[in-house]
Amino acid sequence: MTSNPLPASTCRIAGCTLTGALSVVTQVTDAVTVVHGPGGCTHHNFSLLYATALDNGRPALPPLVSTGLLETDVVFGGEAALDRTLDKVMAGKPGAVFVLSTCIVETIGDDIEKVCGSKQGCPVIVVPTAGFLGGSFQAGVNNALISLAAMAGEATPNGKVNLIGEKNLEYEVEENYAEVKRLLSLLGLSVNLRFVRNITTHEIGALGSARLNVLRDPSLVPVGEYLRSRFGTPYVPGFPIGISGNSSFLEDVAHTCGIDGTESVGRERAREEKLLEKFRDMAGSGVFFSPIPPDPEGRIAAQDLARKVGLRFSDEGSPVPVPVIPPVGLSGTERLLHRWRRALFA
Amino acid sequence: MTGAAACLAGFEGIHVVIHGSSGCYYYPSTLIGAPLYGTFILENEVVFGSDNRLKEVIGDLSGKGGRIAVITTCVPAVMGEDISAILPGEDILLVDSPGFAGELETGYRAALLALAPKVDPKRKGVNIDGVSLSDPFFKGNIAEVTRLLRMAGVPVGTVFCRDWAEMAAHAAPLTIGTNTDFASGVGKFLGGTLGLPALRATFERLEGEFPDADASLVFDELDMQEERIVGACDRFLRRHTPPSVAIFAGAAYAGYAADMLKRYLDAEIRFVGTRNDPPAGRKTRYRQEKANDFGLVAERLRETAPDLVIGSAFEQPVCPDAAFVGIIPPLQDRVRLTYPPLAGTQGTLRFVEEILNTCMDRVKHRKAPGSPPVP
Repeated sequence: MTSNPLPASTCRIAGCTLTGALSVVTQVTDAVTVVHGPGGCTHHNFSLLYATALDNGRPALPPLVSTGLLETDVVFGGEAALDRTLDKVMAGKPGAVFVLSTCIVETIGDDIEKVCGSKQGCPVIVVPTAGFLGGSFQAGVNNALISLAAMAGEATPNGKVNLIGEKNLEYEVEENYAEVKRLLSLLGLSVNLRFVRNITTHEIGALGSARLNVLRDPSLVPVGEYLRSRFGTPYVPGFPIGISGNSSFLEDVAHTCGIDGTESVGRERAREEKLLEKFRDMAGSGVFFSPIPPDPEGRIAAQDLARKVGLRFSDEGSPVPVPVIPPVGLSGTERLLHRWRRALFA
Repeated sequence: MTGAAACLAGFEGIHVVIHGSSGCYYYPSTLIGAPLYGTFILENEVVFGSDNRLKEVIGDLSGKGGRIAVITTCVPAVMGEDISAILPGEDILLVDSPGFAGELETGYRAALLALAPKVDPKRKGVNIDGVSLSDPFFKGNIAEVTRLLRMAGVPVGTVFCRDWAEMAAHAAPLTIGTNTDFASGVGKFLGGTLGLPALRATFERLEGEFPDADASLVFDELDMQEERIVGACDRFLRRHTPPSVAIFAGAAYAGYAADMLKRYLDAEIRFVGTRNDPPAGRKTRYRQEKANDFGLVAERLRETAPDLVIGSAFEQPVCPDAAFVGIIPPLQDRVRLTYPPLAGTQGTLRFVEEILNTCMDRVKHRKAPGSPPVP
């Protein structure tokens, strides 16, 4: 959030449902997403998603099409525009079409289900979104994940692990994935499906095969519960946060999967100690967080890390950055410590 | 809505409020990089009316001094609330600019219309217009055109739209432009500053209007720098065939890019796609079409298969093997810390420099071991 926008309550800055849902559905590479609304709603999301893809070294344009509602459509109804756009998109024979609505479409009351229900040739899935009328950014993410999960049928168990709801707009998304993959491998586990990141509609079919779902963070618990009731898959509620969350994540995963992780956890704790030792030159330095992390989980993780390294909290100290999204695992912690050392000594 | 915000937020002393959802706020706030306020309306306000929320936000701002502008987005525009009645007695600038009303330039014009700038016959100097906070070159353009005007001894009037708010009501009677897509319509327009020929013609007119002005230094600079451009392009053409080009931008920048490429490199302009409607009645010698739909953009790129693409980060990946120069947002693949111009002498020098370097880089890349042969 920038420039003092004067929100009266936090629910006002909980983000756009449409953007949240788009951050999920556009990761299905053989599907096309239709945004039913004015061109502007698609344009700015297209721009955001593409910028993120470039940041992550995957310069693929998001498969996103707008129904491009104009004033006349708003006055006389936009269903014809949706119908036309769906016909055009489906002519390209995509793996699936996801249809997302916008604020204005909900306000004028277009019957999206009816238009989509009349289409045949590939799955046409309506994802409940409607900008601020649909809820928050996170509601959009959760709705999209549940809508996509509905495409998956029964599958043969394969003993692997799904990652659920990775933050596709996160700058460090691939680094965080690599870290979780590393930690899982310490227990002899591998990743079954990144649900949803850079996958095809066909791959969604494997969703129910996994023995465990690892949620990106606890805000996805409703999705975890849905998947548990649907496929019987247990879940752990989040990626490992900070240095203390690193080995405890390993313990949680081992416990949930019924694996003896004692040896792996012991080795990982030794790595944690080694990492702290590497940054011991910062011990005794006075610091304060800038900005103060809005998220309690991130604040606690940063305070915990600062204490472990031996930093001293002081208003007279040096400002050190704290990311909005807390660092994941040992590698995320190491990157943050480098940023702190730069802030102190560079 | 974003165009209206880009216009009004350019004036210091105007507090711009986006009346709509948080989703509507994020795009202009990230694109234009100026302070914006928002009402962040919620569902109950759509159902029961947003008057209290609007009053709340306006009330918080009213002690800050300056004028308040309210820009309506799609849903408030459809709700049909009479905002002037909600805020009686407040000197609020109201701009009805929902996304479905048109493109960025439409919103910019609507905001200017609401602002109602005035010419002050006593104001000396010349206004600079065509400035939009959404344009990645706006800061560089202002600096460059200001430099050239100083060289000619002509004071700068009001900059539309990047100035103190009160200056909008005291504009000079004459105006020169940096980008006609964002023309202000204020005062007598003397011409543009995109490209050296246009720059020369504009400064000739300026000399005619300002008896004390002396643009000889500007003309000397134009002669010298054009010679350098011609020299560099000639050297390029000694070893390379002219590029075949597809251009995607606003009509003004697209036309400028095409003309420069034709003038200095004898480039083959295969397609010009404009994001907005080109000015009515203006003829073009290129194959030109409005292309604000990405499906059409991709189709034209595949069809024309250019070896140089001018546009934004949207067009670039469709022709990954083509050379690329960005002139319109989004330009997201590089770190950008400086404020380059596109207008003025420096703007054209930089543009041609970018073209030549990217074309030569492409050739080098394709000559590298394992690369496909250069066509």
